[in-house]
Amino acid sequence: MREQLRTDLLVSLKQKRRGFAKGWYKFSRNLLSVLGLVVLILIVLAALLAPYITPYPEHAKPYTNFKDAGKPPSTEHFFGTDRVGRDIFSRVIFGYRFSLTIGVVVLSLGVAPGVILGLIAGYHKGTWIETVIMRITDIFLAVPPLVLALAITAMLTPNLTNQMMAIALVWWPWYSRLVFALASSLRNEYFVREAELTGASKLHIMLKEILPNCLAPVMTKMTLDMGIVILLGATLSFIGLGVQPPKPGLGTMVAEGSKRLPGEWWGAIFPALAIVVVILAFNLVGDGLRDVFAVEEV
Amino acid sequence: MSPLLDVRDLSVGFKIFEGYLSVLNGVELTLGEGERVGLVGETGCGKTTTVKSILRVLPMPPARIAGGEIFYRGKDILKMKRREVQTLRRMELTAIFQDPLMSLNPVFTVGTQLRDIVKDSLGASGKKLTKKQITARCIEALKETGMPDPERIMSNYPIQLSGGMRQRVCIAEALSTTAQLLLADEPTTNLDVTIQDQILRKLDELVEEKNTSVLMITHSLGVVMDLTQRLYIMYAGTMVEEGQTEELFASPLHPYSQGLMKSVPKLTGEGVSDGIPGRIPNYLDPPAGCRFHPRCEHTMPICQTEKPPLFNVENGRHVACFLYRS
Amino acid sequence: MTDTILVVDKLKKYFPTKRGTVKAVDNISFSVTTGETIGLVGESGSGKTTTAQCVIGIYPPTDGEILFKGQTISEAFSKRSKALKRDIRIVFQDPGSSLNPKRSIKQILSVPLKVHRVATKKDHLTKIKSLLAMVELPPDEYMYKYPQAIGGGEKQMVAIARALATDPSLVLLDEPTSALDVSVQGKIINLLMKLQQDLNLTYLFITHDLSLMRNVASRVAIMYLGKLCEIAPTVEFFQNPTHPYTKMLLSAIPVVSQEEKALKPTKIASRGEIPSPVNVPSGCSFHSRCSEKMDMCAQDDPVMVEIGEGHVTRCHLYQDTKVAASIEQEEGVHAQDPVDQPRGDG
Repeated sequence: MREQLRTDLLVSLKQKRRGFAKGWYKFSRNLLSVLGLVVLILIVLAALLAPYITPYPEHAKPYTNFKDAGKPPSTEHFFGTDRVGRDIFSRVIFGYRFSLTIGVVVLSLGVAPGVILGLIAGYHKGTWIETVIMRITDIFLAVPPLVLALAITAMLTPNLTNQMMAIALVWWPWYSRLVFALASSLRNEYFVREAELTGASKLHIMLKEILPNCLAPVMTKMTLDMGIVILLGATLSFIGLGVQPPKPGLGTMVAEGSKRLPGEWWGAIFPALAIVVVILAFNLVGDGLRDVFAVEEV
Repeated sequence: MSPLLDVRDLSVGFKIFEGYLSVLNGVELTLGEGERVGLVGETGCGKTTTVKSILRVLPMPPARIAGGEIFYRGKDILKMKRREVQTLRRMELTAIFQDPLMSLNPVFTVGTQLRDIVKDSLGASGKKLTKKQITARCIEALKETGMPDPERIMSNYPIQLSGGMRQRVCIAEALSTTAQLLLADEPTTNLDVTIQDQILRKLDELVEEKNTSVLMITHSLGVVMDLTQRLYIMYAGTMVEEGQTEELFASPLHPYSQGLMKSVPKLTGEGVSDGIPGRIPNYLDPPAGCRFHPRCEHTMPICQTEKPPLFNVENGRHVACFLYRS
Repeated sequence: MTDTILVVDKLKKYFPTKRGTVKAVDNISFSVTTGETIGLVGESGSGKTTTAQCVIGIYPPTDGEILFKGQTISEAFSKRSKALKRDIRIVFQDPGSSLNPKRSIKQILSVPLKVHRVATKKDHLTKIKSLLAMVELPPDEYMYKYPQAIGGGEKQMVAIARALATDPSLVLLDEPTSALDVSVQGKIINLLMKLQQDLNLTYLFITHDLSLMRNVASRVAIMYLGKLCEIAPTVEFFQNPTHPYTKMLLSAIPVVSQEEKALKPTKIASRGEIPSPVNVPSGCSFHSRCSEKMDMCAQDDPVMVEIGEGHVTRCHLYQDTKVAASIEQEEGVHAQDPVDQPRGDG
């Protein structure tokens, strides 16, 4: 029994490794995706190691140094300093910490329920179960995500946790839509038919037969969504419903900097560019993943 | 007289993650003016890759022409400029594929598509017809394929037609041009036998009438028996046997052709043979020498090292097998 | 041991659609004897697959009855007992889509074992190995492979092993080889025949390939637009085809030798499109394509008559045998007028 388990594990590991190598080959065909991935890795590493690699880590906390306030970019301050003399470069790196947290937390909160509901609805297409789940989904989808998130955050105290909750609440319906579409077509595949005719349980069919075939598109969508969620988080922060100053949220920094445009342009432009770069990187990686999961033709 | 189409030693491969798929391995094929030739082989033997190479529609990369020439009227298609290939495809070559839904545009009516083709092919040859005349020609072309009620069909969308009718539309499109060479890639595989029978007979009549040359590609031996004069049997990217259709059917020489013929269930009902053991080789690492040798019951030492050329056997038949060396 | 395992009695399956009711299966009856292979042959839209789907329970019949081992099973699979699901199994046409691409062959084969508790958990592995050995695949080599890593023929072997894992008595074969190459087909067919002998299986073989049926089936049934045209023991069927549609089908088969050509009915040219199943022609549904059409064919649907030992056909050409007379009486008044006409002619 144990021996058997070991062979099982070994074989599946080998399979996974081969699959990964092949995936990487396809991914690496697209140079832009590789570039996106490199940028993304750099950003993540920088965010993780922010206290050690930034020139002025203390600037991320309440800090003032009016002597250096409003300085343009220089070798000492790559992105210049803001109106109270904090180093914008250091704050941008710390800002990525918030942005990535928002992305990761929102998707981990939103995707699971979305996928599960979509799976149930898709498998029960044509019954009242589908109607109930999908109509609720539709109601959420009918309201623009920004407006809904705005409304929710406005009701609660504006802080990072509430902001993430609000975005997660508007995000799951996209996944239930996606998985619903996938599951309701997979349901008609012969291997699902066969499992039903054999008498396998619904749980087995949904989790073991249908779900594994839905994961690739879900993963691609998650990567693409990371960028959009980060943007939404930054937008909310920009209008003051997210990360509160003096914490260095990217959106918050753009908002602060924009008050001093166009004179001290660096205060708004660099944090904004930082947002653009991270979203672009996620999108490029997402495109690459889509190629990886695309059906082979040869 | 030089043949209409002459494929010489064509090798085509695909570059993929696992390595290099060497699919076509020295394909030889000739087709004379007005001749009807069959190309028979099983899934994955490279039939479609051959057709795509002739039409120059292989996606490159991943595909790569590793060697060989394809002469059409003495000119190498592979060396032609994009412009020339386009003219060739407009004027000289035409193709019918297995799935007519893929070749017909779903958002235009049959009439629109047919008219465009007729207009284009006439325009290329410098003639001009009025709109009415073009429509009349289209209806005529549809009628020729045995299509019931062609006037009505003209205003239908492809999706509104049955599989057989769609394939008739494709045949009408293919034969309403000035094309000299018709490449038919599994034209009736998706159809029911009674419909297949009708379409094949109609196709037979039409190419006879227009004196079009035909390369009929199929996996079904029965389909080519009545329709072609000469036959190629293809296995794993090489021609293994060539000969007059009737003779080849009566006495296949190559062990693969023999196995293939034996595998077809017969109406005489003497049971089903076990087929050919093993399966088509992995193109990443195809067997050296004769690609059929791992499945062959007559394997000799030389088969494992040397690729057999097409040996000339009695009355113009060619077999790529060392059994017929002398 | 010639007991009947399956009876399909006046089975009807209609599908309501926007354009009208599709009579996919319209009043067909036949029975299957234990241990035989009955070939259900027809073109697309003939209802052969729908018939199989009713038997396995994908659809409950609209009307009529299906009896399996004497018990009625005219309901959807969700209402059927586990024992029944275990006893009737199906092999689908396309092994590419009937095996889950994300599961290994071992995982695929373990599903029926778990669901039906065929073996104890400890014995699963042994059982899977013996199943693979049964379909002549080396177990250790194939167990951990995923479907995309093996050839079409091997996939179908796995699908067959999965169907036989529960030790069924009736197996529905829904075009099991039509997606495969001929050189692979032979091995699968011969394996199926061997397993039938060894395990005493009964096959309902659905196909469009008459040449294959000549070599495999013990009886052949022809369907056209939801109705049965002719049923006969195989040898008799090919020697003496009676229904015009059967003849047309036989003459349309592409063959590869002169001996076979000689066996085909003198060329009855196939003609006409298969009518849409939404709009089935009146009377005998084949009259629109029939070469021997008579006036009454368009009005009156013929009934099945027995014209030989186990040979039944449904055509007006054969209605005036003695059996027809008795059926005529049952049918009542309206059948009588048209039947008289050709007699007057003749």
